[in-house]
Amino acid sequence: MTFQELILSLQKFWADRGCLIVQPYNSEVGAGTFNPATFLRAIGPEPWNVAYVEPSRRPTDGRYGENPNRLQQFHQFQVILKPSPLEIQELYLDSLRALGTDPNKHDIRFIEDDWESPTLGAWGLGWQVWIDGLEISQFTYFQQVGGIDCKPISGELTYGLERIAMYLQDVDDVYELEWSKGIKYGEICKRQEWEWSTYNFERADVPLHLELFDRYEEQCRVLLGLSKEKGKGNVLVFESDDSLKRLVLPAYDCVIKCSHYFNVLDARGAISVTERQRYIARVRHIARAVCETYAAQREALGYPLLKAPVSAETATAEVAR
Amino acid sequence: MSSLLIEIGVEELPASFVARAMEQMPVLVKSALAAARLTHGEIEALGTPRRLALRVEGVAEAQPDLEEEVLGPPRAAAFEADGTPKQAAAGFAKKNGMDVSAVRIAKTDKGEYAALTRKEKGLPAREVLGKVVEAATKITFPKAMRWGQGDIAFGRPVHWIVALFGSDVIDASFANVRTGRRTLGHRFLAPGWIELAKADDYLEALRAAHVLPRTSERRAAMIEGLAASAKDNAAEVVPDDFLVEENLTLVEEPQIVCGHFEDRFLSLPDDVIVAVMRGHQRYFAARDVGGGKLLPRYFAVVNTALDPKTILRGNDRVLRARLSDARFFVEEDRKKTLADRLPKLDGIVFQTKLGTVGEKVRRVGKLAAALSGDAEAELLAQLCKADLVSLIVGEFPELQGVMGRWYAQKEGLSARHADVIRDHYLPKGASDVVPTDTLAAHIAVADRVDTLVGCVGVGIVPSGSADPFALRRAVLSVIRIALEGPIDVDARAVFLGAYGGFVSQGKTLAAEAETLSKLDELVRGRLKSYLGEKHGADVIEACLAAWSGGSIRDLVARVEALSAIRREAEFDSLTVAFKRAHNITKDVASSDAALRAELFDHDAERALARAFDGVKARIDEATGKGQYAEALRLVATELRGPIDTFFEQVFVMVDDAAVRANRLLLLARIAGTVSRIAHLHLLSGAASTTG
Repeated sequence: MTFQELILSLQKFWADRGCLIVQPYNSEVGAGTFNPATFLRAIGPEPWNVAYVEPSRRPTDGRYGENPNRLQQFHQFQVILKPSPLEIQELYLDSLRALGTDPNKHDIRFIEDDWESPTLGAWGLGWQVWIDGLEISQFTYFQQVGGIDCKPISGELTYGLERIAMYLQDVDDVYELEWSKGIKYGEICKRQEWEWSTYNFERADVPLHLELFDRYEEQCRVLLGLSKEKGKGNVLVFESDDSLKRLVLPAYDCVIKCSHYFNVLDARGAISVTERQRYIARVRHIARAVCETYAAQREALGYPLLKAPVSAETATAEVAR
Repeated sequence: MSSLLIEIGVEELPASFVARAMEQMPVLVKSALAAARLTHGEIEALGTPRRLALRVEGVAEAQPDLEEEVLGPPRAAAFEADGTPKQAAAGFAKKNGMDVSAVRIAKTDKGEYAALTRKEKGLPAREVLGKVVEAATKITFPKAMRWGQGDIAFGRPVHWIVALFGSDVIDASFANVRTGRRTLGHRFLAPGWIELAKADDYLEALRAAHVLPRTSERRAAMIEGLAASAKDNAAEVVPDDFLVEENLTLVEEPQIVCGHFEDRFLSLPDDVIVAVMRGHQRYFAARDVGGGKLLPRYFAVVNTALDPKTILRGNDRVLRARLSDARFFVEEDRKKTLADRLPKLDGIVFQTKLGTVGEKVRRVGKLAAALSGDAEAELLAQLCKADLVSLIVGEFPELQGVMGRWYAQKEGLSARHADVIRDHYLPKGASDVVPTDTLAAHIAVADRVDTLVGCVGVGIVPSGSADPFALRRAVLSVIRIALEGPIDVDARAVFLGAYGGFVSQGKTLAAEAETLSKLDELVRGRLKSYLGEKHGADVIEACLAAWSGGSIRDLVARVEALSAIRREAEFDSLTVAFKRAHNITKDVASSDAALRAELFDHDAERALARAFDGVKARIDEATGKGQYAEALRLVATELRGPIDTFFEQVFVMVDDAAVRANRLLLLARIAGTVSRIAHLHLLSGAASTTG
């Protein structure tokens, strides 16, 4: 199974099970979780089932294309099932079967792995899924996002696409993967790995990134009308009580930018261990403001997705009419 | 009687959750059974990642009938004088569901009251066990989670609950799941529901379905499997209790596969290879039989092994990637020397008020140099922590020190200094050895003392179970290094030295006297518990009272001398004598006044003064040299007789003030001399009397 067949199979599998198939986000993210289709949609009571590929950037993981397993940009396949169905593990195992992997022939295990994103103020409990000792997926029940308790709970499945493909194609070197028949992963991505590793570790302009971080943080505040002062009990104070006056989606993009610039600065070795915590706290702070605003907006809009789920058949019937 | 079975089927639980649930469930169920008035036999907790279960043997079929006396209003309120029941008696009867004719009068200590004997027929166990089943679900997890609609919290989502009493289902529900008799076997090897006819079928049915819910059985199967696989591969398993327990809670039925990696990775330090296999993959390392050399093999405990070849191909590949990563880290690390890394320590906060790790190691270096008189200690103490900012230690924190040593060897530091880098962390735990090298011991002490003084100086003092900087363990390590290692430690002096280090870096600590006094208390507390394993608490108290808080070895010399000599029979009377002397002289102001021989008016008194005169210098000399056994022996042999005679024959508190004061002074002098060694009056045993 080629790399692209793998993606197509997973998309088909989850589309058949009622997921919306959306596209990768068009800004630099460290994981599929950052995509607003996960991060924001996990907030509030509205049901949401979605699947998508997410090219994810981890500047510190860059190895100049020399390590057969580590990449500064890799691909996640992300699935969100909200509320998490009780049979979510079986659904996941069925998706492996759809990839031609017979779980009975392998050693598949669910190993405790709690997930926490200090920058996003989010955490969840779940597992890494191991197949024959290889971690191929992350499985998380979101408990909190942006400091807000999740209810209902979203179940998040994240497939590490390169790892799974290497497994399926039985190759040891990611660059040897067949992306499609006759075209290797390395032919497409190796140069990119070298360039971005060099950029992230050596060339990225530190003052520029420091400034970008500050300015996007400020932009985020402005878009949200977020006051610098906190209220009693550490509550966030907004200029306007009307959440619909705030531009929450552009503001969230600012959070993504800050997080990414922080990662680049981290890879450049420009942030000391002491400063790290402060930067993380700054991103967490604006992420929280975004989440609170988003929650308020959905409420103000009357939770549009809270209607009875429209099945494919009724939808077709309506169109026909 | 029948057996009770409760099984909660869940999604894969973390290892620690299973262990915790297996501790809690028996307690919860035992108290619920008691509350339900059901007698029972043995309770056994069972658990795997996918199920938490409990078997109770011999649960009674029914509650015993209950007969209890219920007291109502006082007699006067309940009955007329002629015995006719009043309204209150009727109300009391009605409240208890009985007829007023059943109300009688009971005599109690507090007077006479209306009373009823309430009889309740014991209910069948089946009707009351529902509460017991519900009690079993009240486990508290370190981190509970919610799922689905998010209404319920448990360790992991709950899928089924079996509740069988004999062959009957006990109806109950939890987490939107109703109890039943269906359980699931192994997720892959025996998928599908299993109907249990009765509670006692449980273990057998699950064994057949590739699940060993009994931990001991699972452990035995794993250890047996490991031994067999090791034998097949002419290797030995490197024993690792952590891995045994960890793997035990990762599988429902352990299977062992033996994989391998390429010889080229053996150039990595053994510790790295073991850490990679252990930390990331939970593999057991393999070594050659007898020789102890690491082999390029590993043993993996897996949950399914229908196709070992496929499974091994995957595991081998993963390990190869992990080892490649480790090699990358090590190679990157080696591009910089340990000394090059030191500036990075300034980026790690040790404690907000105490500054960075960089500042800490500079203080420790200065202190270690002062303690050891070895100027090289100053840099070496800093190098000891340089590996904290290496990539490999970032990945495997447990390799701190070990990798520092390895890098030091590779960059050409002396073998001794390289060893110091590893060994200054000793002892790592209560059962670990202490450093044998003097330099390592000095740095080890300086490192801990710096932490102690700094933390105590900013108000971080261990209390109860809260000891975030493990200060108690740090004190214990210093004590053990002083006693089992190559150097003594003068606690007071090192604390003072470390305090000076903070001052010269401009750190603000609490006042010196206050800090030192808190530290002294901490040290004394640890000494008590450490020495208490071998010596009597009173002996330790007696010696601590005489000890200045300086040399640790000096204190222990006292304790050992006193412990040994007090076992001798004559010593008991000496203790009595010193208690008396202490009691009657405790209010005597210390005075340099000379004893006045002319005021002695009793032979026993003169004899005691003479004996004391004759031996005082020798006692002082032995005490001064720390020869406490010798000093105490002199007290016992030279003074015991005269003191005993003195107390038998001489009445101290005579009316003549001058004679009395002179007598008290004599006793005070003797007590003062001996109490430089130990405060004998604090010894227990002989009863205290006044003279």
